Amino acid sequence: MTEPKIIGFLCNWCSYRGADGAGMARLKYPPNVKIIRVPCSGRISPELVLRSFREGADGVMVLGCHIGDCHYSTGNHRTAKRMPVLKKLLEYAGIDSERLYVNWVSAAEGEKFAAVIKDFTEKIRALPPFTETMKSRKQKLAEMKQTEKEVEWTSA
Amino acid sequence: MIEYKNILTTCPYCGTGCAFNLQTLDGRIVGVLPAKKHVISEGGLCIKGWNAHDFVYHKDRLTRPLIRKDGQLAGSSWEEALTLVAGKFSQIKAESGPDSIGFLSSAKCTNEENYIVQKFARAVIGTNNVDHCARL
Amino acid sequence: MDKRINDLGQIIEKILPEVDGVLGLKTGPGGIVAPHLFVKERPEELELMAIWPKEPLPSVIRLIQQAHPEAKLAVVCRGCEERGMVEMFKHAQLNLNNVTLIGLQCTQEEAEFCRCAEPFTVHAKMIVGQPIEGVADPLTEKIAAMSQPEKLAFWKEEFSHCIKCYGCRNICAQCFCNVCALEDETWVQTGHLPMGNPSMYHLVRAMHMTAKCVACRECEETCPVGIPIAIHFRLIARDVKEMFNYETGAVIDQKPPQLLVLEEGDYERTGLPH
Repeated sequence: MTEPKIIGFLCNWCSYRGADGAGMARLKYPPNVKIIRVPCSGRISPELVLRSFREGADGVMVLGCHIGDCHYSTGNHRTAKRMPVLKKLLEYAGIDSERLYVNWVSAAEGEKFAAVIKDFTEKIRALPPFTETMKSRKQKLAEMKQTEKEVEWTSA
Repeated sequence: MIEYKNILTTCPYCGTGCAFNLQTLDGRIVGVLPAKKHVISEGGLCIKGWNAHDFVYHKDRLTRPLIRKDGQLAGSSWEEALTLVAGKFSQIKAESGPDSIGFLSSAKCTNEENYIVQKFARAVIGTNNVDHCARL
Repeated sequence: MDKRINDLGQIIEKILPEVDGVLGLKTGPGGIVAPHLFVKERPEELELMAIWPKEPLPSVIRLIQQAHPEAKLAVVCRGCEERGMVEMFKHAQLNLNNVTLIGLQCTQEEAEFCRCAEPFTVHAKMIVGQPIEGVADPLTEKIAAMSQPEKLAFWKEEFSHCIKCYGCRNICAQCFCNVCALEDETWVQTGHLPMGNPSMYHLVRAMHMTAKCVACRECEETCPVGIPIAIHFRLIARDVKEMFNYETGAVIDQKPPQLLVLEEGDYERTGLPH
């Protein structure tokens, strides 16, 4: 079983400091999340999330400051408006909306950060690999033929 | 007076024959609208048709014939250019025979224009050397 | 003969001397209908006036107004076109103060053709035809009721037909950005068909149509391969109504959610943890 690949977009001012805090406190959490530091969670456009999925991510996390604590005062309001809609859109397109996770983690919440990452990784591990679910029928057929050929080759 | 109207035309790109309306505002082409009830394209267009108005006012577009004089391309009148071409054609045909001339036509021309090109090659010049970029 | 054409002709004739032009539809060669600006210098053109099929008039009026910002114009608009113009006004693409709206009410057949929930005008002062009730949208309901793997299979199949003509974006009156994310190679790969899964083109476009789509169905109609792309937009519109209490084109003074700072109540309705 392959390990799930998760992209984590972390806001520089809160969540990234939170991750620092978790490291400083030597808390253990799964290593599946590849962290990308961004100036603000409001910078995460739907394009970035969708491209992460297209490039083969199994899950995407967007972590930002709590509402009211944004370094740019209303940056995370954009996240709060945008991400629920994107989650709905993923659902309508037939993609499990649980693969996109949004939460607020402040700089002091190292423990919450570790817990959030652990929970999300477990959730994604229970789902099938994303690239597998997105394969078209043609691709699957081609792969089946390929394995058939390989079987013939080895048995001959 | 503001003048906005649409002019129905056929897509210049391929042989399918999709139709679209060229939007013109004050005598200038400003965009493309698909022709909804047209029997061939039925309101659809491909990406070429949707951008078919783009080249009309492009700065690289040739608006008059150019003749190479002393290694430099220089603008000239149609009269001068056509006289030169006709003269050279007759000269080459007389010196080396009609099969030393070939005709390359374009997919962007209409059916009728392409017909004229092959007729010109066969009837006037007398060669079967006719080809077309869409044959590739 | 449709009675609405006569009524509309009379209204246009009446206001033609007062304005610089009335944007409507005209039958051209071969019976092909296209938008046309009727002017007082050429009133005889009104004989060729048509009302169906509908065309994306909001983008045409924007085009005219950008070239002639001071011109006083009138436009024949259906419910969807009116909503479109209101949305464009909110996004500063159109000056509605210089535009007189002539509301054309759709008939039952026209509304059913567009699966339209609001085939009537709301803001127009002059009205032609009788307003009717909206009709149901069976296709959207059918897809909304599908299970998740069924939805995925449906959209994978539909998106694999896409020839990337960009027609749905070009015809959309709400797609007025100067720089389009769909033309950026970072997001939408060029030179590959069918597009990779998940289809960035369609999903990014659906996201960008949030709280903008006015359900005119021009995109579905112009799609050469018949992808029912507006279903995404309509489903999202329901969520936008629920989360932000926003309906496109309904109230002229209401700010679109893109420009809002969230209030306490709005924030709770989006369903995020807090």
